Amino acid sequence: MSNLDAWILWYLDSPWRVIGAAVALLVFLLLVVYRDDWFFYARLMLKSLRRNLVRTALTSIATFVLVLVVTMVWTVLYVLDRVTAEKSQDLKAIVTERWQIPSQMPFSYAQPLSEGAAKETNDVRPSDSMTWTFVGGTLDPAKRTRENIVFFFAMDPAKLMRAERDERGNLIRTKTGKIVFNTMMDDLDQLSDSEIDLLDQACREMEKDRRKVVIGKERLAQMNKKVGERFTLHCINYPFIELEMEIIGEFPDGRYNQSALMHRDYILDAMDAWKRKNGRPHPMAEKCLNLVWLRVPDREAFRRVAEQIEESPDFKSPAVKCETASSGIAAFLDAYRDLLWGMRYLLVPAILVTMSLVIANAISISVRERRTEMAVLKVLGYRPGQVLILVLGEALLLGVAAGLASAAASILFINTYLGGIKFPIAFFPAFFIPLDALWWGPALGALTAFVGSILPAWSARQVKVAEVFSKIS
Amino acid sequence: MIPRPIVQIEGLHKSFSRGSEKIDVLIDLTLDVPEGEFLALMGPSGSGKTTLLNLIAGLDSPTSGTLIVGDQEISRMSETQLARWRTRHVGFVFQFYHLLPVLTAYENVELPLLLLPLSAAERKRQVLTALDLVGLSNRLSHRPGQLSGGQQQRVGIARAIVTDPTLIVADEPTGDLDSKSAEEILDLLVELKKGLNKTILMVTHDPRAAARAERVLHLEKGRLVRETSLYDLHPGGLNGDAVTSSPRRMEDVVREQP
Repeated sequence: MSNLDAWILWYLDSPWRVIGAAVALLVFLLLVVYRDDWFFYARLMLKSLRRNLVRTALTSIATFVLVLVVTMVWTVLYVLDRVTAEKSQDLKAIVTERWQIPSQMPFSYAQPLSEGAAKETNDVRPSDSMTWTFVGGTLDPAKRTRENIVFFFAMDPAKLMRAERDERGNLIRTKTGKIVFNTMMDDLDQLSDSEIDLLDQACREMEKDRRKVVIGKERLAQMNKKVGERFTLHCINYPFIELEMEIIGEFPDGRYNQSALMHRDYILDAMDAWKRKNGRPHPMAEKCLNLVWLRVPDREAFRRVAEQIEESPDFKSPAVKCETASSGIAAFLDAYRDLLWGMRYLLVPAILVTMSLVIANAISISVRERRTEMAVLKVLGYRPGQVLILVLGEALLLGVAAGLASAAASILFINTYLGGIKFPIAFFPAFFIPLDALWWGPALGALTAFVGSILPAWSARQVKVAEVFSKIS
Repeated sequence: MIPRPIVQIEGLHKSFSRGSEKIDVLIDLTLDVPEGEFLALMGPSGSGKTTLLNLIAGLDSPTSGTLIVGDQEISRMSETQLARWRTRHVGFVFQFYHLLPVLTAYENVELPLLLLPLSAAERKRQVLTALDLVGLSNRLSHRPGQLSGGQQQRVGIARAIVTDPTLIVADEPTGDLDSKSAEEILDLLVELKKGLNKTILMVTHDPRAAARAERVLHLEKGRLVRETSLYDLHPGGLNGDAVTSSPRRMEDVVREQP
């Protein structure tokens, strides 16, 4: 990647930088070209758009729909890009079985891996860790339908959410009023105070009673269950094991709407009980550790921890690998590589080109109809560049307004009403349109409006006054 | 005292190419227009009168020759320079009015002022003065579609005079009007000529319109073939009034009105 590409990517990385540049450009154009008269020109542009309401409405609707589609596609790509982007600090590493998917390691690996396989005093230790065991089961073994099947993350509840509390159980806050808490799960650091409080209480309840579980609200709705209800989980990937469960809470609305979480010791205890009853270990006893997550402060710490783990003789059968979370997820997404490539490099550009053509068509017709007006403006003393900017301005107004409306509507409708974009890829249950779409939308509208209107605007700029009036007379 | 010429044309030539054919529209034209004169250009279709008007208004460039308006040689100006020059020095009245349909009468008249370094208050004062002069103070917020043809042409004239230009050029200003409205517009032009002593160049086919001018030039096939002066048309002078010696500002005229 060239320096210029890197700089452009860095610049575009912040919506505020992009918005700032766009606003500065607009202000510059308005102030330099029109000084204090820009209200008049804005009014003139709006009135020009209003002269053919049907055409303006149809063009706006087309732009609205196309921005909506691009926003949805970009939302999926944006989330995937974000989770696969390498961080330089506060990294999460993921340890999995090296040669097999799904990863199935013995639970004896859990403790040493959580320590980063550190043995010597100068070895690097992770600052935090978390183990995951996947437990899939059905509420009705005779009827394995989608609504009956639940997929649990079995883990230490304290790693899901642990807020600091005083002796009386009150939340401890920092001097700035923020709750002191820790989580190993992505995005849970964005929760509100009340959500942190409730989730922490639920996790503490799970520690007291391992049968208690937390389930996302959409999953609960599909199971036709409510908080407080009990059920028996007939495990699918842990044969012969049945688990009595009580729902004590639901995840805060968002990314975990389809998730379910149980205490890891519950499944371990169940396998121990099965062993005592049957006189032999459960078939999954040596395969019940699926993932270990480690938190490391920086890239160097990650490199050393990965080296410690991968070179340790303790993890040779089965062998393990340690990679950054983003690499791990990227490897997982490799199966979707062609689909994602098509979305990014075929679908989105095709939509953008279509948008530009729609706007170009509308503005071209408008300019053709108004060549006499352009000529009149020139007769009055308007310079060619000013005529060009008037036409560009109309297109930009239309594009920005339709783009903004589309982005705002998509956030409200898709996130609030539809519960995100249900795009079944990897382990993401739904993709929520980020607030960044509020600048994507207008920026897309502006970009395509600019591209679509530059030729018609140039044609308006070139209008020859004498020719126009000789045709009229 | 003979007023100084505001338009000086010498050896003006304009030709167009149509394929391989070269068409001479104006041929070796020489002409002076004194400041404050009301001049009519007449001639059959294709005689070159509109082309001459466009050249004097800076809407087109001559093929050769000299064209000085005010003190400036406009035949050598670029398109952008001409645009700036037109804003300050030329007011244009069209046959078909050519008001912007989406703007009100007030906004249409304000359009050329937006190109000048004026404050909003100054713009407002000049727009109101111009509309007052053409008798449309009560139609400020009407759109062209809500006005009669005669009223639209008055707005067009207000737009032409609002910048206090050196020269007003009118291309068949009564060509799209009924005879009553045409008379009113011609009366208005004469009043403006009397009151502001502006130089007015008018292209017309209508002999009655031309009769209001001080001098009529007849063009045929790109050449000046005949000239009729005010004294041939009106031995007593233009509507019986003497030509004042220098142009006046719109505000002064309005202030003097009872």
